[in-house]
Amino acid sequence: MIAYIEKVLAMLEVEVRRIMHDRTELYTRAVQPILWIGVFAPVMEKFRVVPIPNITYMEFITPGVLVQSITFVSIFYGLNVIWERDLGVLNKLLVAPVSRSALVIGKALSAGVRGIFQSLIIVLLAEILGVRIVINPIYLLLAALLIVVFCAAFAALSIFIASLLKTRERFMGIGQAITMPLFFASNAIYPINLMPNWLKAVATINPLSYAVEGLRALMITGDLTTVPLDFLVSFVFVAVTIVIASQTFKKIIE
Amino acid sequence: MSNNVISVRNLVKVYDKVTRALDGVSLDVEEGEIFGLLGPNGAGKTTLVRILTTQIPPTSGEAFILGKSIIEEAERVRELIGYVPQEISVMTDLTGYENMLFYSKLYGVPSSERKRRIENALSLVGLLDKANIVVKNYSGGMMRRLEIAQAIINYPKVLFLDEPTIGLDPSGRKAIWSYLSQLMEEHEMTIFMTTHYMDEADMVTDRLAIINLGKIVAVGTSSELKRSTKLESITIISKFHKEEVKNLLNSLPFVKQIYDGKEEGSVTAYVENAEEAVIEIISTLKENNVDVESLSMNKPTLDDVFLAYAGTKLEETTSALEARKVRRTMQRMR
Ligand SMILES: Nc1ncnc2c1ncn2[C@@H]1O[C@H](COP(=O)(O)OP(=O)(O)OP(=O)(O)O)[C@@H](O)[C@H]1O
Ligand SMILES: [Mg+2]
Repeated sequence: MIAYIEKVLAMLEVEVRRIMHDRTELYTRAVQPILWIGVFAPVMEKFRVVPIPNITYMEFITPGVLVQSITFVSIFYGLNVIWERDLGVLNKLLVAPVSRSALVIGKALSAGVRGIFQSLIIVLLAEILGVRIVINPIYLLLAALLIVVFCAAFAALSIFIASLLKTRERFMGIGQAITMPLFFASNAIYPINLMPNWLKAVATINPLSYAVEGLRALMITGDLTTVPLDFLVSFVFVAVTIVIASQTFKKIIE
Repeated sequence: MSNNVISVRNLVKVYDKVTRALDGVSLDVEEGEIFGLLGPNGAGKTTLVRILTTQIPPTSGEAFILGKSIIEEAERVRELIGYVPQEISVMTDLTGYENMLFYSKLYGVPSSERKRRIENALSLVGLLDKANIVVKNYSGGMMRRLEIAQAIINYPKVLFLDEPTIGLDPSGRKAIWSYLSQLMEEHEMTIFMTTHYMDEADMVTDRLAIINLGKIVAVGTSSELKRSTKLESITIISKFHKEEVKNLLNSLPFVKQIYDGKEEGSVTAYVENAEEAVIEIISTLKENNVDVESLSMNKPTLDDVFLAYAGTKLEETTSALEARKVRRTMQRMR
């Protein structure tokens, strides 16, 4: 068990070292969320298109675009695994005395690590743009946990998809095809109660909505009523995707 | 089961229900040898390595590494082996040392020993002074050496190398060969390597198997294989009466067959072992006062061996494909 955790940690360490060696990706991926928060939100605010009590629209969508951004980061991990297969890196991992589930968990949590770094940058920039973040260490730690869990779940989902598609070409378009609909069919940029009924139904079963809701509560409103449910859904989501991805993982190299 | 380090019994691998990559492969690798698997592109070399290293299951048949089944005891097998894939598979965005550190942790090298083992392995492949450089900036040969260093971090009993010198220039290839022989001296292990280079199979391996279209067509030391083609011969050119020379040669027990050579006055005798035969032939001819103008020994190359067993020339089947493959490998290194 200790050995198992050590091996997962070794994979996370690699991810941290990678980020330390090259941070440009973190910055380029911060551009889009900042456009949403700094340009889109103020315009919408001006015309009062979306009425939200107590907080500004900019504050409302900050957790939404943050989740969108880390979804993109995570959905990229399946592609990354295919890429590593083509390079032989994955083959080498599979020949090492490490269980398949440790490899999947290591990869998934690596997405969580990157997600945290990505979120830090976005939150800092949002704060500069005038978003008031709840400064409560416990809330922020919970938010970080939720981010890790959510990233891990999407990365595992992505690894599962990669094990079905197997080639980079087939996987390429899938990132957009999955994340954009999930983003728009969630509470990321408008409240669920403003949605038409069919979209409401989709948003309710969309795991993205729960991550957004949880982060919005922990980082912006400070109203924790929904947080237990948000965590529950996210934990179930991550457990299911990791179990499935562990089963299918080795198919990538066949 | 046997005492062999690797024993392979009747392995068959069919990809996607159509491609028969391995078609009943059986072989044994003995302790402490460098065993080579020589074959053209698509022969099934990588497939065999991937099955033996527990990456993919065989369609049928079985194989054992130090008595452990690669199917039922895959986890145990993984603890015994090191592996260098055909592709250059280092993490190019990290330093050499960081690459080594990662694998030492993955292989569960105790933290107190990590630094020492990493430094040993790196110095063995001549990379210690490059340890803190990001691997992107390594040459292809250096990346290969780093991979070999990684693969021995857990002191494997068996090291699998899939085309370890592909895409390297001659000096890079020679460097790898010398590091491998040094490695064999310092660690007790068995090496199983694939190659499609004749010279590599010839110079580096103790024994080799020739694989073609998923079948092992010959196994032995390179000189055994060459001898088995029965193509060793000695050609003598002499002004002496030709029939007389032929008769003299015919009287020798080890001479198998005699033909007239292409040139005027030349005679070619096929023999079991050219090196031994040449001494006796010279002394017999001397005794009978035959004036020899020139004498040459013809030894078959591995190319001849390949032609004899596989029915095609290895070089022809390889060159074009190889160019493509090398390019691919180089691209990946970028
Ligand atoms: N994953 C795969 N799916 C389907 N067919 C495959 C797969 N891998 C290999 N093959 C096919 O199996 C055959 C043997 O391939 P293999 O890679 O084992 O050959 P090789 O001897 O290693 O060749 P090379 O010198 O090109 O590396 C080839 O016909 C190849 O196209
Ligand atoms: Mg190969």
